[in-house]
Amino acid sequence: MPDLSHVDDYPEIPVSLRSSRGVLRTGDWRNMRPVLAERVSACTHECPASVPIPRYFHHLAAGRLEEAFATFTLRNPFPRITGRVCPRTCEAGCNRVDREGPVSIRDLERYLGEATAGLPHLPSAEATGSKVAVVGSGPAGLSAAYYLRRSGHEVVVFESQPEAGGMLRYGIPEYRLPSAVVDDEIARLQAMGIRFRTGVALGGDLDLGNLEDEYDAVFVATGAWLGRSMGVEGESLMESGLDFLVASHDAGVRPPGRRCAVVGGGNTALDVARTLRRLGAEATVLYRRTPDEMPAIGEEYRAAVEEGVAFEFLTLPRALRKDGADLVVTLETMRLGDPDDSGRRRPEPTGDDREARFDAVYSAIGETASLEPFPDALKGGDGWLAVGPSGETKADRVFVGGDLATGPATVVEAIAWGRRTAEAVNERIGGGYEVPDWVAEQGDGVVGPTDINPATFPDTDPHHAPHLDAAARLAAGMGEEAGTMTDAEALAEIERCYSCGYCNECGTCFVFCPDVAIRWEDGPVFDYTFCKGCDICTTECPGHVILTVKEEEVARG
Amino acid sequence: MRFGIPLEERIEPGNLGCQGCGGALSMRMVLKGLSDDTVAVIPACCWSIIDGPWPVHALQVPVFHTAFETAAIMATGIKAAKLQQGKDTTVMAWAGDGGTFDIGLQALSGAAERNEDIIYVCYDNEAYMNTGIQRSSSTPIGTWTTTTPDERPETRPKKNIMEIMAAHRIPYAATATPAYPDDLLAKVEIARDLRGTRFLHILSACPPGWKMGSGDAIAAMRAAVDSRVFPLYEVRDGLDVTITRWPEHEVDPEAYFAMQGRFRPLLDDPEELARVRRLIDRQWETLVARHREHHPEPAAG
Repeated sequence: MPDLSHVDDYPEIPVSLRSSRGVLRTGDWRNMRPVLAERVSACTHECPASVPIPRYFHHLAAGRLEEAFATFTLRNPFPRITGRVCPRTCEAGCNRVDREGPVSIRDLERYLGEATAGLPHLPSAEATGSKVAVVGSGPAGLSAAYYLRRSGHEVVVFESQPEAGGMLRYGIPEYRLPSAVVDDEIARLQAMGIRFRTGVALGGDLDLGNLEDEYDAVFVATGAWLGRSMGVEGESLMESGLDFLVASHDAGVRPPGRRCAVVGGGNTALDVARTLRRLGAEATVLYRRTPDEMPAIGEEYRAAVEEGVAFEFLTLPRALRKDGADLVVTLETMRLGDPDDSGRRRPEPTGDDREARFDAVYSAIGETASLEPFPDALKGGDGWLAVGPSGETKADRVFVGGDLATGPATVVEAIAWGRRTAEAVNERIGGGYEVPDWVAEQGDGVVGPTDINPATFPDTDPHHAPHLDAAARLAAGMGEEAGTMTDAEALAEIERCYSCGYCNECGTCFVFCPDVAIRWEDGPVFDYTFCKGCDICTTECPGHVILTVKEEEVARG
Repeated sequence: MRFGIPLEERIEPGNLGCQGCGGALSMRMVLKGLSDDTVAVIPACCWSIIDGPWPVHALQVPVFHTAFETAAIMATGIKAAKLQQGKDTTVMAWAGDGGTFDIGLQALSGAAERNEDIIYVCYDNEAYMNTGIQRSSSTPIGTWTTTTPDERPETRPKKNIMEIMAAHRIPYAATATPAYPDDLLAKVEIARDLRGTRFLHILSACPPGWKMGSGDAIAAMRAAVDSRVFPLYEVRDGLDVTITRWPEHEVDPEAYFAMQGRFRPLLDDPEELARVRRLIDRQWETLVARHREHHPEPAAG
């Protein structure tokens, strides 16, 4: 040890031993402050059912399956169903759409659905003593039944077909939505205490008036099942596309011949054509406009093309006749004129006719609802049902919804309608289910592409659920065409989400705060004693969940 | 949390950095990567003030304030004293660009030449900001400062301190910026676990001196990297170069300059701007060539 005795001869030096924490209250410098302000993500905004997408992603990523399921089912009880058949308007709204493509929200929804398939539904509220009848067990009816039951009502669902599920079971082909999934979901509803009575039809064994007497409220969602008439010569030689889809769920169904045509450009037409291909037939879609005007979901059209469905656009059947075993169809070539009421260009005749020979021709030009069971008192001036935004009718306790009210629409729209009606019923007869605080606390604003800051996100291509290629799809027959993401794929895909409008505890604000003024308590807590109001957290927050407000506004309250 | 950044802090909330101070953020992040047994040696620079006035201070590790030109030698001495006490304390010299590129260069060169066992961090805000924005040899071409006003802006390129430090063949030298926190933390941890002189050159935005809003501090530092104005790389033993971040989306250097009022003279001078662009390109090409020397396989992300 060296001799250090001379150290004592040095003068003292000042030493700071106290923490600046209690002394340097740098928050006094601030004229603006950051606040957490959750708002609506663009995807949620585009979702007909308003599913809080970033919020359930966050629970999923953290392994909180029950919370993810509870968050999802607040707005849509059936992730296994819409995770298969939804047209994904959410993905079109995704703020990542112009980068490498949107987050694969539907595939993640399916992943959630499969991961939580074994969970029971949330417990229902205390019994209200009220009874509600739901007529029709398609997506609108099942959704309403779910929310009504969750609200504590006794719910009975009536269905005219032998099994519940409506369009989900009978309309959507097996390769898109297997009946086994519908079975499971109905069993889960039964486990909540919802009762199903099948084989009873409104206008047959069921009378609307009797239901009104017997129940505190009635929700009718019987769908749109009537094929429209084309008014062409020999129309009776055509078969109903929808009837064919219903029949296709039975094993052993075969098309009547090899050469089949389908008239129409909507989802039913494409479902029929794609089902025909799977059953070994040729399918030609005859549509009077062009691909741009087709009402069918775009990916259905692309899949149909891949599967070898032929399309003859600007083609309208004018007459059908029998010639031996052949069906001879007279087809007129059309051209596009000015836009019609739907904004799509109207097809106009050209006078050019040709003939084509088929073994069968299916009509799928759109379906309409049967109004037979409804008294005139419920109808408006146009002869149609008079329906309010949540399915209210002229009768106090009768509500209608789904395709019956909207005409043919999507499953998710029907599910959304079912929930709206359940809430309207609750308002009228009392009852309700618990809604988490965030619903009321969330702001109305929508977080759009100019609000977000994706700078801290790396480029990552989307991950997709497995999907059979066209040859494999045809070889699989009516077997399901898509699969479910792996856990790793789902987690990686959730990492692509900017979590617009929702704090998913990404930590960006915490990491970039120069002043240690954000405490991390499973999420950011702003320490206004020290926050200088530099605005970095607001600027860097990827999902624009942090806003900067002026102190004078805070003071005004 | 999307970042591998430890929650643990070694700095108190409440420091005297300006709003959006990149230097304060750099210190916070570097200390996260070191241990409690660390001593910071701070010569004259912004951080002489930021740490707080006697008798309080913000860091949770001891700080030794020292004269402008002495950061490296003071750190050397403290390390020696600690070793005498039988302690293997990490001693970190923490200086600005003035105290590193200009005033402290001799002491730093001496310490590096002897391969003293210290970590030397230069938080570089590209001028003498603490005294009111005077140019340093770190100030880039075309920059406004109070000593290089609009009518006579900086004409010389920013001194390349990394090349100087690499020339000493020290075990580790790296560039970093808090805009890429995981990259910064990884480099701090590498430096922590090595012996000898380790040098970190951390670009640290100064909103008042760079003439921009404090909220844009991170964005500016990020753009410096993505425009290749300030590449992120490390040099081992003075020779082995590794680029640690390959910009995914190239930002036009002009966009980086346009974020900051201090570059107004440069943006007003197309000839000078063209010269700066060539310089940025040449520096990047040189760096890539040196990276490829050390990593013979084609450069990847």
